[in-house]
Amino acid sequence: MLRSLLVPRAAARSAFKKSSSLPAVIAPSSIARWSRRGYATEAEEKDLVIIGGGVAGYVAAIKAGQEGMKVTCIEKRGTLGGTCLNVGCIPSKALLNNSHLYHQILHDTKARGIDVGDVKLNLAQMMKSKDTAVSGLTKGVEFLFKKNGVEYVKGTASFAGEHEIKVNLTEGGEKTIIGKNILIATGSEATPFPGLEIDEKRIITSTGAIALDKVPESMVVIGGGIIGLEMGSVWSRLGSKVTVVEFLGQIGGPGMDAEISKAAQKILKKQGIDFKLNTKVLGGDATGDKIKLEVEAAKGGKKETLDADVVLVAIGRRPYTAGLGLENVGLETDEKGRLVIDHEFRTKLPHIRVVGDCTFGPMLAHKAEEEAVAVVEWIKKGYGHVNYGAIPSVMYTHPEVAWVGQNEQEVKASGVEYKIGTFPFSANSRAKTNLDTEGFVKMIADAKTDRILGIHIIGPNAGEMIAEGTLALEYGASTEDIGRTSHAHPTLAEAFKEAAMATYGKAIHF
Amino acid sequence: MFAATKVLRAAHAERVPMIKFIGKRSLPSSVDHTPHAHPASPSHELPSDFSQKSSASFSSYRQKAQQHGPLGRANASADGSLGSVSGHSLGSVAPVKGEYFDRNELPARFRRQPIDLSEIDAIETGGATLVC
Repeated sequence: MLRSLLVPRAAARSAFKKSSSLPAVIAPSSIARWSRRGYATEAEEKDLVIIGGGVAGYVAAIKAGQEGMKVTCIEKRGTLGGTCLNVGCIPSKALLNNSHLYHQILHDTKARGIDVGDVKLNLAQMMKSKDTAVSGLTKGVEFLFKKNGVEYVKGTASFAGEHEIKVNLTEGGEKTIIGKNILIATGSEATPFPGLEIDEKRIITSTGAIALDKVPESMVVIGGGIIGLEMGSVWSRLGSKVTVVEFLGQIGGPGMDAEISKAAQKILKKQGIDFKLNTKVLGGDATGDKIKLEVEAAKGGKKETLDADVVLVAIGRRPYTAGLGLENVGLETDEKGRLVIDHEFRTKLPHIRVVGDCTFGPMLAHKAEEEAVAVVEWIKKGYGHVNYGAIPSVMYTHPEVAWVGQNEQEVKASGVEYKIGTFPFSANSRAKTNLDTEGFVKMIADAKTDRILGIHIIGPNAGEMIAEGTLALEYGASTEDIGRTSHAHPTLAEAFKEAAMATYGKAIHF
Repeated sequence: MFAATKVLRAAHAERVPMIKFIGKRSLPSSVDHTPHAHPASPSHELPSDFSQKSSASFSSYRQKAQQHGPLGRANASADGSLGSVSGHSLGSVAPVKGEYFDRNELPARFRRQPIDLSEIDAIETGGATLVC
């Protein structure tokens, strides 16, 4: 009863906030407690309320804090970092790195002069090591929130009004937060496969694929995109018989250059992964000991049944906006579930903006980070910058695949005259010393101006090397600019320089 | 030695990189804030309702404004949403004779709030636990 008298309408009561006349003997802490209980405070208006504490949301929150804005970030997962830190990029990279080490110790030590004894996999410890990396990073983000004055609210947010966000707090209860500006950064979720019920034990998404408690004898990966190939690589290295079923005629997704994709498939095949391209999955039956998947050629053909202990559904991701109460403010999504925005990330309600996976553009963490910084700058300074033409993509298999800009198919389709230069890692001194020589660097440049249009790398450390290509593309460099820039010897990066030299002239070492 | 430096400088000057330093980044002097299609938008165009100002007129504001339900009453009979028709026209909310409302059937804000231990203590001690 007492409590019911104390609960909102906060706004109406705020006028009475200072009318308390308590005896002087009351301890200050008790005054605070009393006034808090006696008179509900008016919901504070924030400069920016961010829904979602993933990469897009937390980066925007920190940036807004640095810009001196009063900012609140609402996250329901219980930890910050979203898909990327908790169940995506970070844990998968921990597994990729450690499974690669395991595989290398098993199969690639003799020629290096290292004799090893009995090598065993301790999967539980490998998972623990992954979890340590994840928890360290997510706690690091919490620290950065405190450092930059960001209020962190744990709960599920929904729109109660155009400026009003209702939060169902994780610890129980409700809270209303008012925002002058609101940023939706709710991310994405794995797209389910019709007819296959995800249980994250036998039929899994990438979330289940980073948390299996034993190595399955066999695994079928539906979808030969980056996520499918990375997780397929992990479990193949740890001992699973992995088969990748892809509807399209190439792996790596449509963004990957066809020549690079073919090379990647050849190398992964050599590592033991089977591929069924131009193949569609018709349905599955998980009632028996083994999951039975019925597949046939994409253009029609003979049906075939694949048996697997585990099926990884990796056919893509879709924007996640469920439960946001978009209908309460009249916001709608497009046919793919993306929130529609303009060039300043504004929805049709200009104070509500959207960044990251739940709107246009590639679903990449670094793209979301760029947008997060830009959207805060649009709000605070009236100007922001994201170059969607220079966003790199990386596949962290071994060897890695990385690219930025246009691929050869796209350049050809655009009708621009182009020239190509390539350089193989087998001719690179550092790759030779590392006994890691698979792959090559490919550059595509405008035939008339020599301006770089796209850079594609398959090879060791491609993910790090692509940063140089992205910088060059962002600055509008020519291949000659790169070719005439000194690169340290002996490094893998020399292959990058030599590919540039091969584009405008000739490589020295090939 | 001086001559050698000159020769080196001259040789260096022959090569002019395409990337040139053009000074510190600065904000453009004028920025067009009218909505344009997002560069990554697949359709390369904005829906028609983007161009409408959100509060072009008071009547258009009322059409979409919400306060415990929409303020606009034009579509009251069509959608029947809460607040779009007068309370009076909805009839009496009193239960018929012999029927009673359970407090837990009411909207959450009218229900009993959970009482925590400190509140029970406060009531039992006449508030003494709050000041000690």
